[in-house]
Amino acid sequence: MKKTLLSFAIIFVVLSNMKAQTYNNLWIPDTLIGTTFNLAVKDTFKQLLSGNQTITGGINNNFWGPTLFFNKGDTVHMNVKNKLNDSTTIHWHGMHLPAVMDGGPHQVIPPGTLWQPYWKVTNNAGTYWYHPHLHEMTLEHLSKGIGGFIIVRDPAESALTLPRKYGVDDIPLVLTSRRYDASNQFVTTNVSYGDYMLTNGTPSAQVSLPKQYVRLRILNAEIERGYDLGFSDNRTFYIIANDGGLVNAPVAVTRVKLMVGERVEIMVNLGNDLVGSSIDLKAYNSGQAFGFPGAEPASSGQFGSLLNNIDFPVLHINVASTTANPVTSVPPALASNVYWTSANATVTRTLNITNGNPGPNPIPFNFDNASFVLNTINKTVNLNDIEKWTVVNNNVFGHTFHIHDVEFKIVDRNGSTAAVGTHEAGWKDVMYVPKGESVSFVAKFDDYADAIHPFMYHCHFSNHEDDGMMGQFVVTNPAGFNEIKKEIISFSLFPNPTEDKLTIKMGDINTEVYYITIVNISGKAVMMLPQPEMSKGIDVSTLAKGVYFVQLMDKKTKSITTQKFVKN
Amino acid sequence: MNWFKGCICTLLIVSIYSFKGDKSNSNSVIGKTVKDFSLKNVDSKIISLSAFPDAKGFVVVFTCNHCPFAKLYPKRLNDLNSKYKPLGVPLIAINSMDTLVYEEETFELMQKKSADEKLNFPYLYDATQTVGKNFGALHTPHAYIIWKENNNWVIKYSGAIDDNGEHPEKATPYIANALDNLINNRPVSKPETQSFGCRIFYRAK
Repeated sequence: MKKTLLSFAIIFVVLSNMKAQTYNNLWIPDTLIGTTFNLAVKDTFKQLLSGNQTITGGINNNFWGPTLFFNKGDTVHMNVKNKLNDSTTIHWHGMHLPAVMDGGPHQVIPPGTLWQPYWKVTNNAGTYWYHPHLHEMTLEHLSKGIGGFIIVRDPAESALTLPRKYGVDDIPLVLTSRRYDASNQFVTTNVSYGDYMLTNGTPSAQVSLPKQYVRLRILNAEIERGYDLGFSDNRTFYIIANDGGLVNAPVAVTRVKLMVGERVEIMVNLGNDLVGSSIDLKAYNSGQAFGFPGAEPASSGQFGSLLNNIDFPVLHINVASTTANPVTSVPPALASNVYWTSANATVTRTLNITNGNPGPNPIPFNFDNASFVLNTINKTVNLNDIEKWTVVNNNVFGHTFHIHDVEFKIVDRNGSTAAVGTHEAGWKDVMYVPKGESVSFVAKFDDYADAIHPFMYHCHFSNHEDDGMMGQFVVTNPAGFNEIKKEIISFSLFPNPTEDKLTIKMGDINTEVYYITIVNISGKAVMMLPQPEMSKGIDVSTLAKGVYFVQLMDKKTKSITTQKFVKN
Repeated sequence: MNWFKGCICTLLIVSIYSFKGDKSNSNSVIGKTVKDFSLKNVDSKIISLSAFPDAKGFVVVFTCNHCPFAKLYPKRLNDLNSKYKPLGVPLIAINSMDTLVYEEETFELMQKKSADEKLNFPYLYDATQTVGKNFGALHTPHAYIIWKENNNWVIKYSGAIDDNGEHPEKATPYIANALDNLINNRPVSKPETQSFGCRIFYRAK
């Protein structure tokens, strides 16, 4: 009898465990391909828990946004319509582009406004992303789920035999977690970590992947949490790309640390797995040293989480049949990047991570004892200079450092070139700066000079960034123009009234236009066009009928001149 | 973390149309009195609480045209008004969104929404946002029940309409339950819940 009871108990336990293992199919973001991209940033809601829906944000979706495919060399035009209930910005993380197109805290898109940046894609093939960057609101907007992947392709990468069937053997994975309140709503204040994993916005995600080599493009879009990623059977996998594209040769590992803002592309071989078998991609976050974000032992509170200091699954993989033309090996050589070294740098800078200590009047983490001020330019970089920046963390906790405009090479950790990880040997735009380390990178600041619009550098922990752990730099061209006295710019608008297209004829054909804002009769900006391509005219067909004003800023003097037109 | 308490937001004009939320604490509004008001209805008539001399109380719902979560509720609001107006508790909806910022919140589009959704209750235009501020409405939707006590209007309930936006059949009807309590002279069993949806940003003076 005892034995029977025991058997029942065992069966019960097994069954309950089986019942607990319920998964949801991984959501794969839709794709947008071409050179014109329509992105509607919006408030929405999603069923994430049982009971009430959670208020979320998305881009053309109800959480996260479409994956944008760019071809290197193309000029891409973005139509970003802010349909949120709030102002926001969209930053093209990792893209090399003019500062005025960058979508940092200065390129605020008011509700209802269309922002139209564009740029020539010069980045290498790789995995990039786009996300909100409104100062003091980044955590809240990111937490809503606003963001998306950018995948750049180029001929060199396309010539390699790599998995690239999107959603089949080439899978984007955005790793985040969320804390919920009693009404199933995201907690966005006094929170550093979520309690429940979301992989591509999917709780308890599973995916079927073919029995062959597959490629995972993984992005850490957390608030603070790092992930020490590996597979549940400790199998070897291969790092093929960092933030800025392919590494020169694949790096075989069983674990890779992926910190906030970083991307890594890996290839893993499922060719020896049985069809129908399963394996988990997991975060091996237990037992990390203090200072690793997410290692804190508390399970609740501002610095605690149910996922802290434990190992937990991020994706349940079910092995399915091999596809036609599977990739069966990892190419031994991937790229021939020539990286900067310390010797290339003609300018060196040091940033100290300061403050952040608790106390009666605590100052949040910042750089060099100065918190971010929107109108303060912290650094000026000469166009085409190669610079070495060292971020010194003699402080209490790890951070991730991100700089806009450039992809850089990490050249040393604590002064040692050898201490730079093999997993971070490629082009990077985010680097982990652990507690007690100094980390240096070298980058070239080329192509885009602008004395007005700055680029950002900051901790990519959105709470730290919102609290002022951010600075800004302008790239200036010493040979270019400096500030010149303001003047009225002569231009005419035709046809006026217009029904669809508005053409602007400059009085002086040598005048370059820096920015055009179209405002309606009550003074609200409805379209924002950084450095518009004047020859194409402006498509105003979507505007309601009425009177509008063109506010035109010229590049040389930054003078703003206004003219009226009528939309019929 | 009580998100509800952390989210009273005042509008800070950073540049001409960029703004941020300023978070400060609010205490419970239950038991507070609210002043009568006069606002323009979608039929262009001016409505005030005193125009309903027989009303025991009101359901006052702050809502708007554009918010996706608020858009889930018109039928439920019609049903509440159909049931409780004959019992002396009419429903009034108020739009306190900033019409300068949100083009979808114009009076004309309110009229269109009222007609399209066949709203059976007043939908009032709080052009100066004064009434929304007086109530302390945080989001759309944010529902209140006010009750007449000694010729004052006292807040008896504040928060969500129910606890399931998309699936009314699964929802706990907070408003209906509170009204049933009040009509039967019982204390409201759950007087305060969290409102969420689109935040109402109040223009700075």
